[in-house]
Amino acid sequence: MAGPLEQFEIKPLAEISAGGFDISFTNSALWMVIAAVLVTAFMTLSMRRGALVPGRWQGAAEVMYEFVANMLKDNVGSAGRKYFPFVFTLFMFVLFGNLLGMIPHGFAFTSHIIVTFAMALVIFIGVTIIGFARHGTHYFRMFFPEGAPIATAIILIPIEIISYFSRPFSLAIRLFANMTVGHIMLKVIGGFVGLIGIFGVLPFAMLTGITVLEFGIAALQAYVYTILTCIYLHDAIHMH
Amino acid sequence: MPQFDITSFPSQIFWLFVVFVILYILMSKIALPKVGDVLERRHKTIEDNLGKARALKDETDAAIARYEAALAEAREAAHADIREASEKAAAQQAAETEALAKQLSEKTSAAEKRIADAKTAALGGVSEAAADIAREATAKLIGVKVQSKTAENAVSAVIGE
Repeated sequence: MAGPLEQFEIKPLAEISAGGFDISFTNSALWMVIAAVLVTAFMTLSMRRGALVPGRWQGAAEVMYEFVANMLKDNVGSAGRKYFPFVFTLFMFVLFGNLLGMIPHGFAFTSHIIVTFAMALVIFIGVTIIGFARHGTHYFRMFFPEGAPIATAIILIPIEIISYFSRPFSLAIRLFANMTVGHIMLKVIGGFVGLIGIFGVLPFAMLTGITVLEFGIAALQAYVYTILTCIYLHDAIHMH
Repeated sequence: MPQFDITSFPSQIFWLFVVFVILYILMSKIALPKVGDVLERRHKTIEDNLGKARALKDETDAAIARYEAALAEAREAAHADIREASEKAAAQQAAETEALAKQLSEKTSAAEKRIADAKTAALGGVSEAAADIAREATAKLIGVKVQSKTAENAVSAVIGE
């Protein structure tokens, strides 16, 4: 019986090394490619006819488009329009990554903290650059909101700085932890099904419920990851 | 925990970067503009159709207004015709009534004249008879022969003619 952590193991499929770094094509990379291919296929094949009255697949692709577009518009406003391709790519990549992890023998690359953290760091740095580009040094006002009494600066500024710099960590850890815990839980409860014979129906029933829950979490965490990105973008563009 | 095995980090970061950038390019250059175009085209088609519908509705309203005006005009003309006809009929009727009344009054006056003549004739006969009776009575009573002319005058005097 495989341990509950074995499913997260990174297995090289093709050994590649560049500049002293091991950049082997692994199972994680394979599932990233699968996610990207599926997202691209979904968004292009469904729109091939570009029908005025959409069919099911086209309707689904348009729903995803409008869902992310509305999320961006509601949270950032029209100024966020040019970041739409990035936000859309982010949402679809994370969503498909999470959902592909639900396939038996699949691999959730979003359950690896380095992946979620790398994306969060790019978002954090990007948002900070956008903030300074739009507001110049005025962007430092983020750490001390307008209208706050000057005496509160000594408390407020450190708190704001900590909260600002904890953004990439909270973003990364939330997704990583949700995915990892969900998959461990499925594996552990799944292990009980065969172990206790006829009473295995109990953990099996539980497993069924948790699987449904995990699908929900897969979609919800992709949404949370994206909406937090939108909120950070809003802060960078409009300040508080 | 495999998640904290830092030897796998360079490979994961590298492939994440490569795949994400390729996906971003595919989305921003190919997939999303297509979806945006389709949505915009649909929006435009709906707007166009709504505009067309609005224009047709305006046209219909104008046609209805024209029809209403024509109807009102026709009704007016019909009313005028009816009025004219009824006036003409009333005038004709009045003329006929008048002619009839005139005819009747002529007949009445002719009849009255005839009655008066007959009355006069009758009265004439009565006074003649009275004169004869008076003459006879005078002759029988006093034996005087009275001229018929004198008797007539006397009777006339008595009955006040």
